[in-house]
Amino acid sequence: MSEQFSRRDFLKLAGVGAATTAILTGCGPASRYVKREPYMQMPEYNYNGQSTYYATTCRECAAGCGLVVRTSQGRAIKTEGNANHPLNLGKTCARGQATLQGLYNPDRVTNPMKRASRGADSTQAMDWEAAIQAVADALKNNKPEEIAFLMGMAPDHLFDLVTDLAKATGMNAPVRFGALGMFDARATLSKAAENLFGQASLPFFDVGGAQVVFSFGANFLETWLSPVSYTRGFAGLREAQTKQRGKFVQFESRMSMTGGKADEWLPLRPGTEALVALAIGRLAAEILGGSMPRVFASVDPKDAATKSGIKLETLEHLAEMFASSNGALAIPGGAALGQSNGLAVAEAVLALNALSGNFGKPGGVYLSALAPNQTEYNRPASAREMQALVQNMFDGKIKVLFVHGVNPLFELPASLEFGGASKYVSQIISFASFPDETAREADFIFPDHHGLESWGYQRVATGSAQPVLSGAQPVVSPYYNTRATADVLIAAAQLAGGSFAAALPFKDEVEFLQSKIASLMSEADGSISGPDIATFMAYFQQHGGYWKLTDGRGAPSAEDMLNRTIAAEEAEFAGEGEFFFVPFVSPTLAEAGANKPWLQELADPTTTVMWNTWVEMNSETAHELGIENDDMVKIVSEAGELEAPVYVYPAIRPDTIAMPFGQGHTAFGRYAEGRGVNPADLLGSHFNEAGDLAFAGMKVKVTKTGEKKLLSRLESVMGVYGIGLGEEK
Amino acid sequence: MIKRIFDWLKQPLGLIAVGIAVLALFSLAAYGIYTTQQPPEQPIQFPHQTHVAFGIQCLYCHPGAAKGPAAGIPSQAKCWGCHNQIAKTQTSLLLAPLKDAVTSGTPIEWVPVAQVPDFVQFNHRAHIAAGKNCEDCHGDMSKVTIAQNPQVFNMGWCLNCHVETAGQDHEKLVKLSDCGTCHY
Repeated sequence: MSEQFSRRDFLKLAGVGAATTAILTGCGPASRYVKREPYMQMPEYNYNGQSTYYATTCRECAAGCGLVVRTSQGRAIKTEGNANHPLNLGKTCARGQATLQGLYNPDRVTNPMKRASRGADSTQAMDWEAAIQAVADALKNNKPEEIAFLMGMAPDHLFDLVTDLAKATGMNAPVRFGALGMFDARATLSKAAENLFGQASLPFFDVGGAQVVFSFGANFLETWLSPVSYTRGFAGLREAQTKQRGKFVQFESRMSMTGGKADEWLPLRPGTEALVALAIGRLAAEILGGSMPRVFASVDPKDAATKSGIKLETLEHLAEMFASSNGALAIPGGAALGQSNGLAVAEAVLALNALSGNFGKPGGVYLSALAPNQTEYNRPASAREMQALVQNMFDGKIKVLFVHGVNPLFELPASLEFGGASKYVSQIISFASFPDETAREADFIFPDHHGLESWGYQRVATGSAQPVLSGAQPVVSPYYNTRATADVLIAAAQLAGGSFAAALPFKDEVEFLQSKIASLMSEADGSISGPDIATFMAYFQQHGGYWKLTDGRGAPSAEDMLNRTIAAEEAEFAGEGEFFFVPFVSPTLAEAGANKPWLQELADPTTTVMWNTWVEMNSETAHELGIENDDMVKIVSEAGELEAPVYVYPAIRPDTIAMPFGQGHTAFGRYAEGRGVNPADLLGSHFNEAGDLAFAGMKVKVTKTGEKKLLSRLESVMGVYGIGLGEEK
Repeated sequence: MIKRIFDWLKQPLGLIAVGIAVLALFSLAAYGIYTTQQPPEQPIQFPHQTHVAFGIQCLYCHPGAAKGPAAGIPSQAKCWGCHNQIAKTQTSLLLAPLKDAVTSGTPIEWVPVAQVPDFVQFNHRAHIAAGKNCEDCHGDMSKVTIAQNPQVFNMGWCLNCHVETAGQDHEKLVKLSDCGTCHY
């Protein structure tokens, strides 16, 4: 405050102002001037003024959490978790809560449309008849093997429909991809399970029942696999009323929100995770006594300590903790697997579980339960499989590409050149609900309903002991002139005739859904059953899906796991530069939350930054380089370069920088566009043995640009660091 | 600086200025209250008296009053149930908005007249169940076109009736005058 105007004066004036405002505005019931739109046709089961609740499935990610949505007068007004749903037991994450802002998003695609030319802003509205004709023509006028579907990881019913269509007609099987799957390194986990247990599956880690949890890079409280379920598990680990409070150790080079909750956080050198896991295994095996398992025999703990930057005493102490616990669990995930040696890391960490002997036991490792109408685990495509698709596009083998539920131009690293390859595809038809980057490069957009307006089901891939088929139903009538993609495909297949019509002999999407769940009607151990499909479907909608009442998880066979050899080499890093580069999925936005202001405004849990992209850099490194908070830096990798402001972060290794993935949209509506940068632009096309992208296997150069860009954040720079705080004169 | 302002306000001219400012504020506030008490513009000049004269019960159009918290504004499907059989609907200027809304499938934006603030949890059902009639609070609808409030729905008015209804029954009085009955 200046000399003329003291803090006290300011408060006085503010008081007078507040009183005046209160007098002027507080007197009349201003809320009187509201308008009400009553139903045009009110459903019989509705009462005025009383909410109606519908159970459905969240479609913000592919985990398949159950929701109960409160609606009033035909408007969805609040989402909460479905308390009976075995996966999330009544809980949701922030993204689940924000799904309403997708429904009411002002930038939704409201009509089927044709784009004047790819990338152009001008579009021409179409009616649905013409749209369906366009899809039918695309199916009919091309050879089946020239037609490809690229789909997101949700919803599963549409994937099943397209799979059926592809099987019957010889079309390419649909490819599923999602950035979350890529950053989760699902292909690596699944491959490790296949190598070690003889079965490709998504392992399930029972955090809730464990006593000690070692997580190697798995950000399971944020976006990893099934965050709501794992958060519940974590609460179980920490619960101390009925048992001893469980301990949690996180190994990662940059402190994630999950790492922030750990008892011990170990910033190891990126690429040394396998070494560290094996060294801990060796030391623990020595404590346990008996013969040294072959898998740990070749590793030298001293060497591991030197290479990883973790002290030998610390490793010994961790081994002691692991060996002395009767419920030790080790989880591999996230950036630890997204490296050239990711598969070895996954295997080494799973081998620790073999040492602990926790396979198929509470607090241990299981094979995830398959959903009720599922026969094998369908893994989303790895980045290498996506590269194969892109190559087919380049080679002109694909003439028509249908895209649903995924935004490859944003989610795939630019170095895979999906954009370049799309120029060789004569027709791209997008079913996007939002005008995202891929929809902008499409010839047609035939918008699907929002998830809350949609029918469907999602298989719970992991996170629940019971096999769960989570059901979705519309909780509101569609607000715009959109149409369910399943309905569009069914109608187009009928028009196309021949094997297409024969593959989808359904009246509409609901009839297709019923055909898929009819077999569950009379199965034993089901949560619901019904004498006929109409009754069963009504229960399915009412309860939000179907699940088994028994534990469907498998126990991995642990034979010979300790007798293997795992190459305990360090990861290789691509590119030149002094810094390891760790991209991580924004815990608040994930891959498609940037168009929802609630999520943009939600402070990042570790840095509290909102509405932007930042670069995390260690305080000491920043000091050496003369970089302060909010200084712009240029990051150069072998694949590209970006500029972003620095957030000086004490909880990151000095030789590492990190960036959140989720911003940097060039389309996707007013809240997302032109905000921040996309770290996927820096990622080169390097893969691990399982085909997952080695996204954490890059080295980058960082230079200060001299500019500043203030990051908005919840923590005040003044309050936290004492900058600019002075005594009142 | 603020001291100088106060000193200036204390001299006669300043006092007059303060007086004028207070008067202006007061008038503005009074005008504000006045405007909120005017019946707002409705999309259709709905004649309640005509409908009552035909012998239509309140609960026919506002059935929510007997069933739940809100009496509700009828859906246009309900209006149309009768009106599509009435020849005048096709020609009447007054009814043109209804016809347009139904044929084009757009909802009619009514302006609710009787409202209580958000912190009051009013439930119609309990009042109907206690034997109150609609006109006890909303006035005689056979005399008005657009609904009017015969009184201000404020807390004193509510409590008067609650206390009267309780009479000598102490237990009832406690229930009916408890804050949590309406504010929860």
